[in-house]
Amino acid sequence: MRNRSASFARARAAPARAALLVLACAAMAAPFLWMAATSLMGQLEVFASARILPETPLWSNYPEALTAQPFARYFLNSLVFSVAVVAGQVGTATAAGYAFARIDFPGRDRLFMLFLATMMVPAVIVLIPRFLMIDALGWIDSYQGLISTELVSVWGIFLMRQYFRTVPRELEDAARVDGAGPWRIFRSVALPLARPAVATLALFAFIDAWKNLLWPLLVTRSMEMRVVEVGIAAFHSTYEINWPYQMAAGVVAVLPIALLFLFTQRYFVRGIQLEGIR
Amino acid sequence: MSRPPERTDGGLPAFLPAIVTVAFTAGLAVILLSAAASVNGARERATKNVARMAANLWEIPGAGADAVAQLLGERATIEAVPADGGAPRTRTEPGAYGYRPGALDPSVWIAVASDPDRAPPPRPTTPLALLGILLMIAWTARRRRRPPPPRYPAATLLLAAAFLALVALLAARRAHHELEAISAAHLAHGIRAAEIAVTSGADPTRAARAAGLPWGTTAALADPARLWTMPRAVSEAIAALPPPLRTAPTSTLQAGGATYHIAQTTLPPNTAPPTQSPTAPTPAPTTLHLALLGYEETASPTVPLTAASAGSTLLVAIILSLLPLSARPRALRRTLAAWGFLAPAATLLLVFTFGPLLFSLWISLQEWHLVDPAHPFAGLDNYRNIILDTAWWSSIRNTAVFTLHVPLAMAVALALALLTQGSRRAVRWARLALFLPSITSVVAIAVVWKWLLNDGYGLVNQLLARAGIGPVPWLTSPDTALASLMLISVWMVVGYQMVVFQAGLAAIPRDWYDAARVDGAGPLQRFRHITLPGLRHTLFFVLVTSVIGSFQVFGLVYVMTEGGPLGATDVAVYHIYREAWEFLRFGNAAAMSWVLFAVVFAATWLHFRFLEGRRAHA
Repeated sequence: MRNRSASFARARAAPARAALLVLACAAMAAPFLWMAATSLMGQLEVFASARILPETPLWSNYPEALTAQPFARYFLNSLVFSVAVVAGQVGTATAAGYAFARIDFPGRDRLFMLFLATMMVPAVIVLIPRFLMIDALGWIDSYQGLISTELVSVWGIFLMRQYFRTVPRELEDAARVDGAGPWRIFRSVALPLARPAVATLALFAFIDAWKNLLWPLLVTRSMEMRVVEVGIAAFHSTYEINWPYQMAAGVVAVLPIALLFLFTQRYFVRGIQLEGIR
Repeated sequence: MSRPPERTDGGLPAFLPAIVTVAFTAGLAVILLSAAASVNGARERATKNVARMAANLWEIPGAGADAVAQLLGERATIEAVPADGGAPRTRTEPGAYGYRPGALDPSVWIAVASDPDRAPPPRPTTPLALLGILLMIAWTARRRRRPPPPRYPAATLLLAAAFLALVALLAARRAHHELEAISAAHLAHGIRAAEIAVTSGADPTRAARAAGLPWGTTAALADPARLWTMPRAVSEAIAALPPPLRTAPTSTLQAGGATYHIAQTTLPPNTAPPTQSPTAPTPAPTTLHLALLGYEETASPTVPLTAASAGSTLLVAIILSLLPLSARPRALRRTLAAWGFLAPAATLLLVFTFGPLLFSLWISLQEWHLVDPAHPFAGLDNYRNIILDTAWWSSIRNTAVFTLHVPLAMAVALALALLTQGSRRAVRWARLALFLPSITSVVAIAVVWKWLLNDGYGLVNQLLARAGIGPVPWLTSPDTALASLMLISVWMVVGYQMVVFQAGLAAIPRDWYDAARVDGAGPLQRFRHITLPGLRHTLFFVLVTSVIGSFQVFGLVYVMTEGGPLGATDVAVYHIYREAWEFLRFGNAAAMSWVLFAVVFAATWLHFRFLEGRRAHA
């Protein structure tokens, strides 16, 4: 009730606010629209001044750009990488988060602080040793080299711990009375209740892995092992002045993430809120 | 909840001391095995190199099978390659390495057996390790009879840690001796190969090649830069040695912080007929220098041994920490369950975060090049180098300036959050447009912006031209490039920050606003006295995380400017990336990353000190 009357009171300012908001959205979306527009232009058409929209859409840019380098392979690699990272991070973070939230053991809080402290450390510090370790294992230019270092996320452990702490204990106690062990309780009681947080963690892990440029850049050598990010960067330096091709590749790289976000945005928002408000 | 009576006998508690012994034993085994592995690996590589020497001798006209036999005796077997043998040039079999010399007739395989008469495991270490295991077993037996101690068994841990460290140290020293012996044997073979080559009629250069790379040769000494495998310091040091008639087979030389094994031999003038004019003076004897970077440098087991002993000490410490709980089986079971849940995450963090942190510190204290197998200890030299390096400090300055985009982004994000406050449906759609830049591919965004900001044809300059403003060199002038990147970064992060602020705004009670309105506070006053204080937590959180994040910017710079123009956008992480993967100076790069950490840490500390601290007083 109160909310409705409050928003009614502010309704007079609505048109100005809406106009501002539309303007802001337009400014934010403009680069993407311009990317889509350029991707349909001819290679020389983009250099004709004062041209913002293509004369006639040149759809053939897409198949041509995407076959100029093995983009299908890049996407496959990104998918394998991201899915493996999601599986790993969800597995490690749910288990560790549950232990930190629910089980009382000596040294728990100190250990948790130690874990959290690693979030302060710039990733670049561990880059060189990790690279040397992966190299010593002979895992350069392989999936295991790409994936193995990314399987645990302290942010994920933190997120899951916070979530498990908000879930009421009663169901778990009931299961304990029925004689279930800690692993059974975790698997069949706690984890199903934490599904929204798991979805949030999975999404963020997926996006972060998909966006990761530096690590794949270092541990992959061959074209066959490149992920999309590295592939687009390499494509950019190869086709330096062929802007329509580059924009076509860019559209194809942005589209899956945009669609993913469109259908899952409430999980993103929930994740950010869980993280920001303690 | 009724507690069942606690069991004190049997079950897991009784096995705990035994598990400590198992962890301790496993640690010792890993130490001994990795020491042995480094020795065996070096031996294999030495054998491979000797096999290559034999192949080189075979290729010298007039040398052939006899020369190979002279060099290696029974160790080498020579077999003809079958006529259809399109085999590769090298072949590895268990315990033997085969080389097929170049396109000679008949084509043969020269297989060299591994040096058989050296026992691989570091010997005097093994009895000590066994003694340690016996002590542990005795301790276990005693612990099983007596009730567990109520306090942490620190003495046991200290003893176990000392034992592990001692065994690791002895194993490392033993491995070191073995590796030195392998180096000396390798060097002796090299000298022998060169001598055999000369007596077979090869000239000194060819003889040096028969001895195989990586050696210093007379030719290399004349132009020390020619052999990249041989550091200039070494070839110069060799050149300065007194001309010997025939020195002892090996001596060692310290150069560039690493130990080299040096052998010199005076080769008689070769017996082949002189190719120049018959009146040429008889060629003088040549001194051949061979310098081998010792296997004790290239196969040193120090890092794996340190990791193994530290890892098993940690494991023993964790299991010992469970001992005081054995009197309370429920607490013990809980703790064990917790460690079970934590094991995957903890192991991965240990291996890929905590371990690398220490390793990185270690690298930063060495002169570590990717292609050079020697990493001489450099102390604080790397740190001194980068402190004097103006390019590095300018990259730090660029990073700090870049970070100034954070407050601007936060102001825009807060304005957007206030704009979208309240109206639900519009927000959902606005969010997509606003949020997309912060989740999508950084590289794609960088490429788009590079095109948008293109000097002649980009959309931005086209629009500005219509407004009569001349082309702005967004990314091509040192004055504007960094500012352009900052603006792009604002565009990238506002969506994310906006969502965080929305959450913060939703947490401010509506009543406060209503009460303020009743009291006659205007919108600005409400913002100043309700919104800002209510968002303090959120603002602080966004500020700290965004600053930490912006200190690590890489993708934008890597794609858009590559640090240019004239280093104007060379930010810290990009600088470190180039130092390590372009110039291959890993030691310097590691030191730089620690300096960056110090800067980030100081920035974060300042935030906490001045922003959080002030709030505590307010």
